[in-house]
Amino acid sequence: MRLILPEIRHDQAGFQALVGLAEKTENTYFEDIDIDMSTVSWFDADMCSAFGALLYRMGENVNTVRLLNTRPGVDNILSKNGFLSHYGREKIPDRWGTTIPYQRFDAKDDRYFADYIENELIHRDEIPTMSSGLLKKFRESIFEIFSNAVLHSRSELGIFSCGQFFPARHCLDFSVADLGIGMRANIKENAGLDLSAEDAICWSTEGRNTTKRGPVPGGLGLKLLGEFIDLNGGCIQIVSDAGYWRRENKITTTGLLIHSFPGTVVTIEINTADTNTYMLTTEASATDIF
Amino acid sequence: MTISIFEIVGSPLCVASGDGQKVYERLSVALKDSRRVSLSFYNISTLTSAFLNSAVGQLYGEFSEVQIRALLNVQDMQPDDLALLKRVVETAKQYFRDPQKFDQAVRESLGDENDEA
Repeated sequence: MRLILPEIRHDQAGFQALVGLAEKTENTYFEDIDIDMSTVSWFDADMCSAFGALLYRMGENVNTVRLLNTRPGVDNILSKNGFLSHYGREKIPDRWGTTIPYQRFDAKDDRYFADYIENELIHRDEIPTMSSGLLKKFRESIFEIFSNAVLHSRSELGIFSCGQFFPARHCLDFSVADLGIGMRANIKENAGLDLSAEDAICWSTEGRNTTKRGPVPGGLGLKLLGEFIDLNGGCIQIVSDAGYWRRENKITTTGLLIHSFPGTVVTIEINTADTNTYMLTTEASATDIF
Repeated sequence: MTISIFEIVGSPLCVASGDGQKVYERLSVALKDSRRVSLSFYNISTLTSAFLNSAVGQLYGEFSEVQIRALLNVQDMQPDDLALLKRVVETAKQYFRDPQKFDQAVRESLGDENDEA
């Protein structure tokens, strides 16, 4: 089987292209899958998490995946972040240190993920200087995304992450993908609500909504993430099932993809030049918590 | 008595629900015995709602608000972490106070959105 990939930017069209790939390979087993990258003139590195998740699923279905004809620029960035080393290439040194390596985690690897974030993102000299408040909120946001994937996806095939920062544009992109149940099915199963894929994402990003049942409450993670991005001036995108959700400049837009992503992807772009102090949005005193 | 989160988790990063569960188990034993507990966040740099839901939020499923307020306090928390804990606590109270009402509120919020659309 030979598939042609178009350019992949971290936007709705980029996700559209990836879910097309997912659909074409959904029921493919024991095949050689050659993905022709000759027309890929641009590949946003943070999209490696979603792309890698799909390729991993193909591998789980005992297919042999090859990425062919990658253009030099794309080859360079996907080699620097270690993505292509999963597909028979050498990892090349990241001279400017702008990549955050592509990595797969099991759901139980939360401590390993924490080390990865600290080592590859927080404590690297190349990462632009951010205010301590921003760095703290950013770090919390990334852990909220990962926790959300662990708690809700039930992904047995893992959780995939990758990032890239752009010093000149003062922004940093980071993405986490899982191959789990997806928001729509999760909400239907646990909250008994039969929503469209778009509405399912909207529902999940509301603070009081959670699919968690049982003794541990939940439901704040994505809400907190959205609030942070609103203040920071960044952007958040969520793809789950066939739903696409984006929030930027405090405006939410949604759409439907032509096919489904077999899990959930959360992508954030943060403005690293943000000088907000991130003081409290709600006052809280230690004597008035409970 | 003081329960140190750092001592339990062994890291300044309190991000995993599983680590929160370990904190919860100690708190639960102490509160069941009506002990006054000061929960120390000393040396903790990063918290998530998932951790706090597990460590503290689920106490509201087992103990009353009155009991928790009387027996539990927190110390060594940064102001923004206090704000996060406060939100987790408010959500947990809502979650456990009346699960049916919680679900109803969810359905109504969806209805409202659909009306607006």
